[in-house]
Amino acid sequence: MPPASRRTSRAILARFSELSAAIGRLGVSDLETRGALRAGVLGLIDQMPARDARACVSLRLVAEALRQDRDRGDRQPALHQAARALLDAVRTYRASAKAPDRLSVIEAPERSIIAIMRNLPEASPALKPRTSDLIGLTDRRPRSVVARAESLPALALPNDTDRALLGDFCDEAREYIESAEAALLVLEREPDDGDAAQTVMRAFHSIKGTAGFLKLDGLVALAHHGESLLGERRRRDGFAGRVAALSLRALDALRDTVKNLDASRGGAPLAYPPGFLEVLRELEVLGAEPGAPAVEDAGPRVASAPAPSDAAATHSARVRLDRLDALVDIVGELVVAHWMIAQDPASGHDHPELARKVAHAGKLVRDLHDMSMGLRMVPLRGTCNKLVRLARDLAQRAGKQVACRVEGEMTELDRNMVELVADPLMHMVRNAIDHGIELPEERAAQGKPAAGCLTLRATQMNGQVVVALHDDGRGLQRDRILARAEARGLVRAGEVLSDTDVLDLIFAPGLSTAQQVTDVSGRGVGMDVVRRNIQALHGRVDVESTPGQGTTITLRVPLTLAITDGMLVRVGDERYIVPTTNVVVSFRPERSALFTVGGRGEMVRLRHDVLPLVRLHRLLDVHGASEDPTAALLMVVGAGERRCALLVDAIVGQQQVVAKPVTAGIGDVPGISGAAILGDGRVGLILDVPQMLELARHAQPNAQAVA
Amino acid sequence: MSAAAGKYLTFFLGAEEYGMAILAVHEIIGVLPITRVPRTPPFVRGVINLRGRVISILDLRRKFDLPAVDPGPTSCIIVVAAHAAHVGLLVDRVSEVADIAAGDIEPPPPLGGGVQTDYLVGIAKSAVRVRLLLDISRVIDAGDLAAAGPDGGAPTAA
Repeated sequence: MPPASRRTSRAILARFSELSAAIGRLGVSDLETRGALRAGVLGLIDQMPARDARACVSLRLVAEALRQDRDRGDRQPALHQAARALLDAVRTYRASAKAPDRLSVIEAPERSIIAIMRNLPEASPALKPRTSDLIGLTDRRPRSVVARAESLPALALPNDTDRALLGDFCDEAREYIESAEAALLVLEREPDDGDAAQTVMRAFHSIKGTAGFLKLDGLVALAHHGESLLGERRRRDGFAGRVAALSLRALDALRDTVKNLDASRGGAPLAYPPGFLEVLRELEVLGAEPGAPAVEDAGPRVASAPAPSDAAATHSARVRLDRLDALVDIVGELVVAHWMIAQDPASGHDHPELARKVAHAGKLVRDLHDMSMGLRMVPLRGTCNKLVRLARDLAQRAGKQVACRVEGEMTELDRNMVELVADPLMHMVRNAIDHGIELPEERAAQGKPAAGCLTLRATQMNGQVVVALHDDGRGLQRDRILARAEARGLVRAGEVLSDTDVLDLIFAPGLSTAQQVTDVSGRGVGMDVVRRNIQALHGRVDVESTPGQGTTITLRVPLTLAITDGMLVRVGDERYIVPTTNVVVSFRPERSALFTVGGRGEMVRLRHDVLPLVRLHRLLDVHGASEDPTAALLMVVGAGERRCALLVDAIVGQQQVVAKPVTAGIGDVPGISGAAILGDGRVGLILDVPQMLELARHAQPNAQAVA
Repeated sequence: MSAAAGKYLTFFLGAEEYGMAILAVHEIIGVLPITRVPRTPPFVRGVINLRGRVISILDLRRKFDLPAVDPGPTSCIIVVAAHAAHVGLLVDRVSEVADIAAGDIEPPPPLGGGVQTDYLVGIAKSAVRVRLLLDISRVIDAGDLAAAGPDGGAPTAA
């Protein structure tokens, strides 16, 4: 650690000691001093390095506790809370700053705070603190004070809840839950991994602390029992069976409750999620510990052992997402604005000096752009963890054995994108477990290992992220897919299809080859939704499968939605942007390639394919556009069985554009996914190709041909 | 609800003078190139690039069923903040910022037939002229716009 930073942490730790001493000296009615003390705490928050977000949250709790005195009669609990929050703050600070455990000049602040807490006078019975206030305060407190499931009041927040604080709590809790989940998955493989267990316990413990402050008795109880489950019970019974299952369910219940709390900030009604009380009841039985103290006892050793997530947090700062989005947006505009300058004839050949400067500025703008896009990139790790977890749960329920392998979990993707690919990936995992992987005895009969293998591989290439999910199960059965497709009228009986075309049918709406419908999948609303969602992201889904050896489904999505790679096309005197990922090929047809079906539905032949012809100018109601395909251009768009040829006047060029919503004041416009500023400063509309095909299907008589 | 006294931005559509509360007005700009948006009602003129932001332009003439004309040299776009977004309103001419006293405001007269008068919240009368006061957030009712549908039908009254 460099000396400067050591000085900083010394100074901050010294300040912690002073604050704790001051809190210890506080009298019950000493309101003025408390005001000053609160100001001191807020001042310390300002001094803290930005990376110590968690310690800052705890410090805000201190300030909040000092403020609450004024509003409530019961002063003593507030002092306890302040002291406890300060203890949390100093520990998190120490963990994240990697501050030395012992400094010769300063008595370890934790110790002084604990000592002070013990010396605080007991509250009078009339002012008896609410039980949750004292959970985990010191190891001398009775443990029987946790709220019980049968007498748990409805989930509610006190009226004086600090909304900003609640938001911080939700963010922080989500982080803890995520790291705890990852650690639980480690524990499943390595039941004796003490560090992983500590990570989970710390997560429960930290959530318990803040939840207690927010008077969320149910969360406190759940986290408390969860902590004991992972502590005492795990040490005695090992991490397996009910303990493992219940740990995950407890974490889920926590996560759902936090989600509800977060939603309540936006005005949603507040309630415990379904199943919360059941989990709590089970925990009360299983997690009930023989008066065993939990993490608190482990003292500085636990607090100073940084969790893996802490190590990452050390060098990062929390930024509000809307600010980040605005920054990325403006930089995107800067790229376009610079492009406009570079295109301007005034900066062209006549002024080589100026042209060089413009080119230099261009390089900086591109660097800035790359960097700003990088800010919003997050690794897929969180999503991968969820998928592994899902696979494990589903396999257990289906009586199957599955080993999951994840490769490239640190592959990064735009944050907004990560959320959008999560659902399709979950569908794919469900399918793989439900239809792909066989039962252990079936696998054994075929000479395969009893446990199936599910591999999730993420890589980045050419500005796209490729996520492939492979299972070594029975593979897709060509005959069954074909039979089903014929039964549903998706293909004509006797039609000859290539293997690829047959596999592609799994993305057709309404096709499910599951022999029996389970509660997980097989309802025929799976893969077509996956394809639709991925196409909406300007991405692609492909499938490969070998009977008896397994199936691989590959998603390709752009790194970000903020920038769209587009073909600028002219229709009449209007211009539209077609996302490049939707474009297969463009060509000018021969007269002989054009024909009609039933005298109305226009079709075009391209090599061995026959595609419906869609007159874009009609769908978009453009006048004066080219009517003759042989004098214009056909652009083949879409994927798989939903291809069609769009009639456009010409392709103007290829361009990267910043997609912006066009809905403000108009509502959603069918067929248009957004707008972008073009090189000349005008607005161009981005076509939503899948929606456009949908519109064409309803507008044209040759509806089946497009479907 | 009837119109309150205060400062109003007034503007013309043909011979009629309208007013909207000045607080709703974000800025007034000249007419920029407008990109038509297909499958929207006729009163949606399209979208423009306002310093890098894409905002929708509504043609108030079409919205109020007045004869449509192309923008002329005095035409303006009044950018207003409504429903958490900015929307531009195309008008023939911006007139002035007028202080309208409570005593000058009368409730809107009942207009029979199919005329939509939800957004007409008052009539300001002075010795020389009559001004129609609008509740601009009702003119730009997002729900209305969505209900209008792609075929360009008039907004359906709920």
